[in-house]
Amino acid sequence: MGQPSLGVLHMTTPTLANRKRARLGWGAIGTTLVIAASFPMVAPFAWMVTTSLKTGAHAFELPPAWLPTEWHFQNFLTLFQSNVPFATFLWNSLEIAVLVTAAQLLTCSMAGYAFAHLRFRGGKGLFLLLLTSLMMPIQVTIVPMFLMMSAVNLVDTQWAVILPLATNAFGVFLMRQFFLTIPRELIEAARIDGANQFTIFWRVALPLAKPALAALAIITFTNTWNSYFLPLVFLNSWERMTLPLGMFALSNVYGAGNVSVIMAAVGLAICPVLILFLAAQRHIISGMVGSALKG
Amino acid sequence: MAAIVKKASTDSLAGYFFVGPSLLGYLVFVLGPLIAAVVLSFTHYDVLSAPRPIGLSNYARLFADPRLATVYRNTAFFAAASVALSVSLGLILAVAVNQRLPVTIKYALRTAYFFPVLVGMIYAAMVWKFLFNRDLGVVNYYLHFFHVAPIGWLTTSNWALWSVILVYVWKNVGFTMLTTLAGLQNIPEELYEAARIDGAKAITAFFRLTIPLLTPVLLFNVTITMINTLQEFDSIVALTNGGPGDASRSVVMYIYDQAFRSFNMGYASAIAVTLFVLIGLLTLLQLWGSRRWVYYT
Repeated sequence: MGQPSLGVLHMTTPTLANRKRARLGWGAIGTTLVIAASFPMVAPFAWMVTTSLKTGAHAFELPPAWLPTEWHFQNFLTLFQSNVPFATFLWNSLEIAVLVTAAQLLTCSMAGYAFAHLRFRGGKGLFLLLLTSLMMPIQVTIVPMFLMMSAVNLVDTQWAVILPLATNAFGVFLMRQFFLTIPRELIEAARIDGANQFTIFWRVALPLAKPALAALAIITFTNTWNSYFLPLVFLNSWERMTLPLGMFALSNVYGAGNVSVIMAAVGLAICPVLILFLAAQRHIISGMVGSALKG
Repeated sequence: MAAIVKKASTDSLAGYFFVGPSLLGYLVFVLGPLIAAVVLSFTHYDVLSAPRPIGLSNYARLFADPRLATVYRNTAFFAAASVALSVSLGLILAVAVNQRLPVTIKYALRTAYFFPVLVGMIYAAMVWKFLFNRDLGVVNYYLHFFHVAPIGWLTTSNWALWSVILVYVWKNVGFTMLTTLAGLQNIPEELYEAARIDGAKAITAFFRLTIPLLTPVLLFNVTITMINTLQEFDSIVALTNGGPGDASRSVVMYIYDQAFRSFNMGYASAIAVTLFVLIGLLTLLQLWGSRRWVYYT
């Protein structure tokens, strides 16, 4: 994960080819292109913010406002005062995302460490087996999973969503790639000092893995916070629903009348992800992009 | 000798202990259900009565189901277009951004392009749904300056699938761009130096040096985007709900409908098995075919 991701972060190594292109004017064209193309990337968010601050009557006014024209914060209050239990949706999403993240940090770092540094029979085969689940759509296994969850009475509880997500092949892969960068000698040295594998994992390997753990935590939290399919299958009462499901409930109530309220809801739902992203861009990008280069 | 044997065996024990939770999760939530899905695919099961074995009937039904042909066609088109657009636009943007630019501009660009990757598809689609509105939407409003008549983006069968593709590419291009950018920056400067000394023009260096050295990253992007688009659910549900008719319905949406709306659990499992086999085969085919075009240093 080290080098390539750092390259992305600082982007300070323009190649000679680029310098030549810059002289030919290609550089200017390229810059104009990326900047121009970034407007449609940002525009939907700008529209969402300005619309969430409009009164319902003005929500669909054209030309669209790209900067706020009014500050109608009532839309955000409406969310918490309507019949749709928006606060409950928020809490359910948060609970599931936090528990899944905690579980994955533990299970994925343990397995990642074992696959990187412990020799055991069948280890390589097991690792490859785990990786096959990366190309398996959740929809392929959803019917048996649903039957299983209803057999143990977990349907319409948060556990039906949390348990299947408690470990994840991508997380195991990410952690293994990181642990591979820890020198074997360090682990051997700890072993010679008499430490057993559990102590080495907990006291030596995990503290070194903080950057990878941060990346995994943020990616897992975000994915779970955004996840729609598992909650759709397993959670059906309003008291259990997560935000993405609640969005549809909100649309049914406000869709025809008040787009502003829906955009306020979308804005709030995106907020945690935005905060995490601005706070830890480095970790997120190195975690997601690093996997492309080491794969 | 004894010490080595002892070390190896404690390693083994610790190894199994450490992979235990992940392995358990895999067996219970991936491998077990996969096997169960294969078994169910040979049964008739409507949840009300016990599963009844019906041999290959579900598989025979696959070939007689015109809706299945439609959803497979939609999915193939969606995947092909999304892969082509995400990977090529990602490459173009990465090359364009990989040059001397003020740090703040680079930071802003990276944020703008990558942020949608992290936003939930449901939320992104909710916003786009309004932008794509035929009469009051922002997209048609700006198009009318170019004398384009209002387009029913989400409501006409010609455009529904394209709208979903556009939103998918919009959300995904930041990822392909940053992976490609990381690949670009991994190419050693000396290679360009050598090419220049040999008299190669910048354009030649790009096609003979940059592109071949990027092929591993491009392969990664093609594979991952393909696997993801073949199982796309969220964006289609939120934007068009598969409509109009079945015009934008994907295979996984059809599996969900068959299983949880029509309660044809057996038939749904049979479709699921075909999808799994197809994705597996395509992935293997790509990895095998990549030996012809991917250049590993």
